[in-house]
Amino acid sequence: MKRYYIALICLLLLVMQGMAMSLLPSKLVYSNLLMTPHWVLLFLLIVAIFYDRDKTYFAVWYGMAFGLLLDIVYTGILGVYMVTYALVIYVIHGINKTIHSNFIGASLLVILGIILSDTLLYVIYSFVQITSMPWGTYLILRLLPTVAANMIFFIILYPVVKDRITQWSEVINNA
Amino acid sequence: MPSLFRRKRLMAVLIGFIVLVALIGFSIRDRDSLTTPEKFFKDTVGWMQSIIHKPVSLVDNSVDNIQNMFEVYEQNQVLKARLSEYKGVIKDNQRLKNDNAELRKTMGKTESLSDYSPIQATVIARSSDRWFEQMTINRGEEHGVAKDMAVLTSEGMVGKIKSAGAFHSTVQLLSGFDRSNKISSWVVRKDKNEAFGLIEGYDGESGRLLLKGIKLDKELKKGDTVISSGLGGVFPSNLRIGTVEEVVNDQFGLTKTAYVKPFADLFNINHVIVVDRSVQTVENEDQKEDGDS
Repeated sequence: MKRYYIALICLLLLVMQGMAMSLLPSKLVYSNLLMTPHWVLLFLLIVAIFYDRDKTYFAVWYGMAFGLLLDIVYTGILGVYMVTYALVIYVIHGINKTIHSNFIGASLLVILGIILSDTLLYVIYSFVQITSMPWGTYLILRLLPTVAANMIFFIILYPVVKDRITQWSEVINNA
Repeated sequence: MPSLFRRKRLMAVLIGFIVLVALIGFSIRDRDSLTTPEKFFKDTVGWMQSIIHKPVSLVDNSVDNIQNMFEVYEQNQVLKARLSEYKGVIKDNQRLKNDNAELRKTMGKTESLSDYSPIQATVIARSSDRWFEQMTINRGEEHGVAKDMAVLTSEGMVGKIKSAGAFHSTVQLLSGFDRSNKISSWVVRKDKNEAFGLIEGYDGESGRLLLKGIKLDKELKKGDTVISSGLGGVFPSNLRIGTVEEVVNDQFGLTKTAYVKPFADLFNINHVIVVDRSVQTVENEDQKEDGDS
């Protein structure tokens, strides 16, 4: 049952992502700094860190499903988000075994996850010539603001969902 | 066991890569319509977006309104001064319209390239990925929206329909235009013929459109208006696009390139009009011929 809650929250975040542009002040959003909200990824990373055990990969599957949905709804080029999110969540899930799950450990993993996924998206999109931005410009105008903006959202999201997800995880694993 | 596990992981990576390439290859080409599952998911998410959009836009609008309130007095003064001018213009316009209609009737040519039927729509979301200058509107095929229709705001053209779902469609903004989306356009010059050119892309750094292929002997002035010509066979004519800001010779010195500042604000868009060209578009004519033969 709890698993469906996770899917529902993901869906809600996915819908909100499209509204992020109008929620935030337009001067900030439409300046030269390009910020991409990766809210679904953030939430799934928290799931990967606090919900999944070593042998379960729920977050990876969710990443694949909601990545595909993001592709359909927001970009129209299928498969890119799907593969990126699944891969990044898998990698973070792997690293998670070696790091303590507390706030600092989690934020480090999330920063790494966002950098990885945004860079991977950039690499794929530049291969298929959606973008032709040079690396240097990308780093300054896009990657840094994206990481900063998403970390702010992470700091808001973390206290709200962390305890609940740990609780769900215990329910599942005890049953 | 570890070797088997490792092989499994390798297989997963390989399969993932193949799926990625196949899906990109499938979806990046210029498709006429979306597949049914895509339409289904698009509409489902679209409805959820419409529901959440209502309270969000309410808050957003009230903030805007409060900001506007401080400028109301000055605006009022300017508008009052302009109002008398417009009264004359309206009368002239009415008279010319009637004239035009009568003349067309006598010629037996009632359809013109500038005729269109409008479909009103509300913007419910913007693509969260900033590589894509796209937004979602709450009108789709069921309301008559189809691929490649022009999208306007009251100020001017903002983009075209990239793909249409059953009840929602995706708009590609002018700022996301590339070489494959050209707009055939005219530069309206004072006391002279219109100069022809093609809008061929967007300069992201300065936020201006590139109007290319203007003949060298055509002189353009800063502030000249650019409108669509309708000769491209897709958009109606007379859609306002922008004003000329800067004219330079192109790299070979054979034609001129103008930088055009769009009339419409491409960032803060709430309500749009989707425009269906009344005269048959090129593609439709082809289909009809196929049907006839």
